[in-house]
Amino acid sequence: GINAEYGVSQDCLWFLQLSFSHSLPSSKSANMSIMSYNGSAVLAMTGKNCIAIASDTRFGIQHQTLAANFPKVFQMSDKIFLGLTGLFTDIQTFHEKLVFRLNLYKLREERDMKPSVFASLVSTLLYEKRFGPYFVEPIIAGLEGPENKPYICSTDLIGAPLLTSDFVVGGTADEALLGMCESLYKPDMDPETLFETISQCLLASVDRDAFSGWGAVVHIITPEGVSSRKLKVRQD
Amino acid sequence: VSTQSTGYKVGFWATCCNSLHILSPFTVMARRYDSRTTIFSPEGRLHQVEYAMEAISHAGAAIGILTNEGIVLAAEKMITSKLLEQGTSSEKMYKLDNHVACAVAGITADANILINYARLATQRFLFSYQFPMPVEQLVQQVCDLKQGYTQYGGQRPFGVSFLYAGWDKHDGFQLYQSDPSGNYGGWKATAIGKNNSNAQSILKQDFKEDMTLKDAQQLAVKVLSKVMESTTLSSEKLEFGVLTRQNNKTVFRSLTKKELDELIKSTTIENTDAK
Repeated sequence: GINAEYGVSQDCLWFLQLSFSHSLPSSKSANMSIMSYNGSAVLAMTGKNCIAIASDTRFGIQHQTLAANFPKVFQMSDKIFLGLTGLFTDIQTFHEKLVFRLNLYKLREERDMKPSVFASLVSTLLYEKRFGPYFVEPIIAGLEGPENKPYICSTDLIGAPLLTSDFVVGGTADEALLGMCESLYKPDMDPETLFETISQCLLASVDRDAFSGWGAVVHIITPEGVSSRKLKVRQD
Repeated sequence: VSTQSTGYKVGFWATCCNSLHILSPFTVMARRYDSRTTIFSPEGRLHQVEYAMEAISHAGAAIGILTNEGIVLAAEKMITSKLLEQGTSSEKMYKLDNHVACAVAGITADANILINYARLATQRFLFSYQFPMPVEQLVQQVCDLKQGYTQYGGQRPFGVSFLYAGWDKHDGFQLYQSDPSGNYGGWKATAIGKNNSNAQSILKQDFKEDMTLKDAQQLAVKVLSKVMESTTLSSEKLEFGVLTRQNNKTVFRSLTKKELDELIKSTTIENTDAK
């Protein structure tokens, strides 16, 4: 049968899960999904002429945490940030592919890519692997055009875009993140308020999720520049 | 027109001269070996490659000068018409990656193909190895492509010469020149395009090992002014690119019109002072 959530064959997912649990010395858990093999939490929010994007920094393999300095947000250009959740090997490879394409665009066009164009590129690259996808769910955040209009977008692992004006979330803590954002979000927040809000949303959500946490990083992007801050979080 | 045993068509006069065993420009120029790029002539030459270089010697000049502070690439723009829309994009200088740039002399359409190829090569390398491609390796990739067109396929070679300017961690600032044969060399200062032999001899006289970037820019202006066709030197006809290191990053920048005007002015003043 076809897995309803991901549209890939049940056998394909099952086989991958099996191969992962066999590789561990302790075959404790049968993990439910390949997207929670590593665990991550990313969210992005829009404010007044600014955007914020944040992620946890845990690097783990199932129940084991291996590092606390692996952020999942990448700065692709001056005004585009990319957050990637899902399987870490695919996060790294997909990010490197995007750097490749973005660099070529910049060399040929002699200008930066717009966030909306970048989102289309992400979507296209993911759909190219429709029947053997990258296990990533990206979040794109940026300032669009000469007026620096806030832009956020997320896609699923096969490239279906979700274009909203308020916030996008992703990762193993996504449902908790959605709930927190829905409660705390207000439109047109200024950068400082936005920072507070996004931090509270992230912290409360990852604390309820076993697979994410162990550090957090928040980037606030305004037309003047980017400010990045690390948050002090529970190390568990 | 007759077809000789080699299977190539030769001209009427060449045939006559051949059968009469008399020398003429037609026999001496050995045109029958021109039609295939992938064969040698009896004198051991590849005529198509040489003809490609001949094409380049009609194109706008480009000069490169290497210093400890960075590399200057200077080029003469061939403005064919006032009606041409001259936007921001250049016809002579191109960035191949953040740390390498090149100047072009020759057939622009051919150059565009090679530049695209070079850009793909730099990104492929970066993707695989996660560090910037060493400059010499990039030059080798492009040259290997050019060489293929002199040995396989029967297609004509690219009518382009490049000057590559780049910086990498292992060898610092480097300047390379490549030509249609696929040969390349590392240089301290060199010239391609129109009057390149003149330019090269002036560079040989005036280049000094520890020049500053500013000296190199002025030398480039001086050389170009002597080599360009037009009597007056103006910023519209020139393109200057400078590759330097700033804040641990390699930067390739084109000089603005204002900077070019100032540079030309300061160079001519120094020249008249020297006189």
